[in-house]
Amino acid sequence: MPTSATASSSYRRATPDLLVRLGSTDTEVKLRALREVKNQIIGNRTKKLSFLKLGAVPAVADALAQAQAQAQAQDQAELLVQSAAVLGSFACGFDAGVRAVLDAGAFPNLINLLSYPDEKVVDAGARSLRMIYQSKLAPKYDFLKEKSLGFLLSLLNSKNETVTGLGASIIIHSCETVAEQNALCHPGVLKKLNSLLEGSSSQKDASLESLATIIKNNPEAASKFVSECGRALSSVIDLTKDRYPRTRLLACICLIVIRNTSPCYLQDIGIKTKLVHLLLELLDDPGQLGEDSPFALSSLIAQKEDLQRLAFEANAIDKLYNHLQKDSLHPRRFQGILLVLADLCSKLESCRSRFLSLEMLDLVTHALTHDNADVRAAACICLKSVSRSIKTLSAGRFMNEMIVTQLVQLLHDPSTSVQVAALGAVSNIVVDFATHKSLIVKCGGLKVLVQLSKSMDATLRLNALWALKNLMFLADNVCKEGILLELTIPLLSSLICDPEPSVQEQALALVRNLVDGCINSVEYVFAEDGILLDAIGRQLRSASKAEIGIQGMYVLGNIASGNEFHKEAVMHQLLPQVNDGDRSFILKFLQNNDSQLRTAAIWTIINLTFPSSPGASSRVVKLRNADIVSQLKTMAKDPCVDVQLRVRTALGQL
Amino acid sequence: MPVRVVESSAPSQVSGANSGETLPQVCSLLSVGQAFSGTQNVSSLQKDEAWRVNVRIQGCDLEHGYLCGTMEALNVPMADTPVVTFWEGEIIDTKNYTFFTGKWEATQEDDIRHWTKFPSFRPYLSRVEVDGGKSLDLSDSEHIYMRWKEQYFVNVGTDCGLTIAGFYYVCFSCSDGYISGFYYDPNSSPFQKLELKSTNEGRSGFSFSSYELQ
Repeated sequence: MPTSATASSSYRRATPDLLVRLGSTDTEVKLRALREVKNQIIGNRTKKLSFLKLGAVPAVADALAQAQAQAQAQDQAELLVQSAAVLGSFACGFDAGVRAVLDAGAFPNLINLLSYPDEKVVDAGARSLRMIYQSKLAPKYDFLKEKSLGFLLSLLNSKNETVTGLGASIIIHSCETVAEQNALCHPGVLKKLNSLLEGSSSQKDASLESLATIIKNNPEAASKFVSECGRALSSVIDLTKDRYPRTRLLACICLIVIRNTSPCYLQDIGIKTKLVHLLLELLDDPGQLGEDSPFALSSLIAQKEDLQRLAFEANAIDKLYNHLQKDSLHPRRFQGILLVLADLCSKLESCRSRFLSLEMLDLVTHALTHDNADVRAAACICLKSVSRSIKTLSAGRFMNEMIVTQLVQLLHDPSTSVQVAALGAVSNIVVDFATHKSLIVKCGGLKVLVQLSKSMDATLRLNALWALKNLMFLADNVCKEGILLELTIPLLSSLICDPEPSVQEQALALVRNLVDGCINSVEYVFAEDGILLDAIGRQLRSASKAEIGIQGMYVLGNIASGNEFHKEAVMHQLLPQVNDGDRSFILKFLQNNDSQLRTAAIWTIINLTFPSSPGASSRVVKLRNADIVSQLKTMAKDPCVDVQLRVRTALGQL
Repeated sequence: MPVRVVESSAPSQVSGANSGETLPQVCSLLSVGQAFSGTQNVSSLQKDEAWRVNVRIQGCDLEHGYLCGTMEALNVPMADTPVVTFWEGEIIDTKNYTFFTGKWEATQEDDIRHWTKFPSFRPYLSRVEVDGGKSLDLSDSEHIYMRWKEQYFVNVGTDCGLTIAGFYYVCFSCSDGYISGFYYDPNSSPFQKLELKSTNEGRSGFSFSSYELQ
């Protein structure tokens, strides 16, 4: 475009001259140049980038350094103020600018400005540093170093609002570990932050954010804040009524952090309801607040059924539905809304039915193809939650081509978090009681699930096997055959011996479902020289946790409900011929603290000694010789009723 | 077909005040995937009749006293195929639900009349009469009492000429998986008895499958 070409060329001509003027020894010339840069780059990302490429940042940093060097000799205040302002402007909301300011070595010089007697200089330095501290690239402040807390306190105690704000920004940016949180629980810091809750609007915001940072997941910090700061909690609660919506949101977030850290606080139903209503209201904000509020709401209600119920009663589903209806939702807002819906539908059937009755399933299915990976992942998580409804699963509502095809597509997604979220949704949907399991195979899902079960990423392996296990649940023979053909017996055997215990558990549970149902399916574990059964036996002998024992024993129990050959094969696993002095693992399982493991072990014994089976009596003798019968007799008064009843049945057969 | 009773929020639901004191009953025979088969006696004054019935447990959430599954009626005279319905169950754990139904057109007298049909219930009678059995601890009981309410037809339309307006009072024996129940619908013949046994689907023993929702 002619206009921009002219502007661009005149800009190019002017810039080298500007750089020369920035380095001028004439204070007036230099000041004019600094103001010129400042006016050009303010709020203009493109200009910032152009000046950055031309080396303006080192020139301004030099101007700051020279002004500091000469400050004693003559009055350089205006130069200090202007150069600091330009550096701050470069850093504002622009990571490349922050990087350039840091690379130019301006950071320590900006810190020096804070100790100047001239209030304007201090203010300009603090303002500039705050811009830097808004970026992740800012240097981490070490709260654990000697005297560092003193410096921070001097900032927080300053009469200058920008300086106190800088103190807060440093806390928000740099406090990450529990040790750092504990260091910041210094009475001086907490008391000051508490008093800032009654300061100006920006001080309130800075204090709320700092407090949330110090308290997050640190119960000790939460208790110190609440107990040592008088009516601290009430002050934060009061700020949920502040006239500024940003302050209201930050107060909500601070309260949520306190409650999630120490559930003993804020149990009052009134405050819970208020938080829900406030956050739903803030969702209407068209800007940043509307994007942040769903994340806050999600952290408030996640895993908490009582709060999910309150949100449901506050009509949250309908309100979120209205937002989803809007065109061109910002991706972050879209993601947040989907995550809140996921939380709402994670436990309560009433929420899921409302979600389905509003026909939101189509909206969420559509979001599976969104350009933004976070939105795609959130849509999967939402689908995962809604498909926890057994009532709807049983009606086969989720097993439709539209949903399944798109979820299978997402199993190939370049983002691992999308893949994991998609696997979560697939895991639930394939439970499908309505005999549509073949649809997932038809859409190519089985092949991908098997591929993912071979992934180097343990989370992907775990979730892929989880989905395959659920697909195998009550599957018909054709479906079982198809899964095993794709998965192969050698791969399944190696997954049973995977380095990750959680993967081992899923693999064993998959075999448990494989050998359930039609009696012929028991034969699968004997195929290919019985490598599956050997792998199961090996894993049970070295089981590292009860969950592995439970799944493994149910596999053996299910096999033992087959014919004589099957029962004898299980006996061989339980009581190997070679007497190496070790006790059989089943004895250890019968003595395990986990009642489910004891139950699973007893079911195996019940099946091995099932009255109508011809070899039962010889197996009873062997079990007696292995001390298993005497162990069972000691379990007649087991604390678990289920175990007691199984022991009674087993002893009745022995 | 009688009008279906509109479900209101469950009045028999116990408020959470005393929750967490008794552990929910765990019974491996009443877990997901387990199948049961037997009959439902639908005899009327005109004729003796029993339908073969299969039940499969599909979901179990003891924390919330919830159970669900499908029920398949096999030789239904007016249907060409077996009729499958989806039902949801309330487990009487005195935490989530008491013996008093408080809905589905069942009065406390109806409740007592049905529960007392189960011999194992008799020791609880006096306390149930007071408050539905709120203070009873059933965690050590060998029987699990439930109400099963059919929610929808899975494989036939609502115009199939059958009703699912009523519900079942159910008693489950944890030791052998025997289920007895009585269908209650003020508009149907009273005390239709449901009798089901745990099935082992041709095996010589018991088999257990599992799934987990994420």
